[in-house]
Amino acid sequence: MSAEALDPLIHVPARLQIVAALAALPDGDQLSFKRLQDMIELTPGNLITHLRKLEEAGYLTTRKTGSGPASRTSVALTHDGRLALETYATTLRGLLNGV
Amino acid sequence: MEPREAARLLAQTQADARRSLDFRAPWVSLVAAMVALASFGIVWLNVRTQHPFTGPSPVALVCFYALIAFRIATVIYAYARARTGVSGHSVKVQRNEAAAMGAALLACYLLLIAIATGAHHSAGFYWSLFLNGTLIALAVIWAGRSAIHRSWQQVALAVSVALIAAVGAIAGPRGMWLVNGVGLCALLLANAAIVTSRRRGGTRTHTVRTGA
Repeated sequence: MSAEALDPLIHVPARLQIVAALAALPDGDQLSFKRLQDMIELTPGNLITHLRKLEEAGYLTTRKTGSGPASRTSVALTHDGRLALETYATTLRGLLNGV
Repeated sequence: MEPREAARLLAQTQADARRSLDFRAPWVSLVAAMVALASFGIVWLNVRTQHPFTGPSPVALVCFYALIAFRIATVIYAYARARTGVSGHSVKVQRNEAAAMGAALLACYLLLIAIATGAHHSAGFYWSLFLNGTLIALAVIWAGRSAIHRSWQQVALAVSVALIAAVGAIAGPRGMWLVNGVGLCALLLANAAIVTSRRRGGTRTHTVRTGA
């Protein structure tokens, strides 16, 4: 098994951090964009770019509530996203154990 | 990114996220331990020489309830800080549980007032029932809630609180303040140590399991 077996969408530092941070929430919970940004210390522009890629793959959903300055964006990991992280971690363990 | 580096980043991010989202931080338990020791200790110092027992003085009671209020404020602060930006199912469940605990506390007070007004007993009887009865009732409710969530550490904590209150009830109206104060302080200090060790161990175990 080689590093190419790892999901290329998750195998990027920023996206791995996003998925790992969201996976710490119980199923059915969402995290605000601002809190996620504080947790993984990315710039808003950078975070939006990575979130879009993960959303396009169906790994997470974003939801915007309100409008104008009071608007709030929430992010949640989907079932597919949680599964993808589990598979990624299993593959990673296999790689490191030389399987 | 090298697999080893990815494993380290994954373990670190998960541990940091869990720590950041959990309001049961060791410092919350430490504050609770100090509050338990100080609040019960103040009343014990006030009543320990009373013969016969007449109950705590108004000053001791004001200090007692002020410290309890401080403890509740620290929990609210820790919860608000940890759960900022989090929404969804678990938040609604936790709010409902907090409301249920508040209602249970109120029901305890009302029931105890009803018992107290039902017949004439000594001040020692009222205080013992009032304090230990409330502690046992809340601890049992908390244990039940934690068992439903399969949170066994919280079940053990709640059962221990109920046991301390039961021992307190046996210790009598003067001794119960000392038993509850020292018992709860020791229990909460142990809890803080377990939480700290689990948080450190969690990162280490994950790192070892992923091989980084």
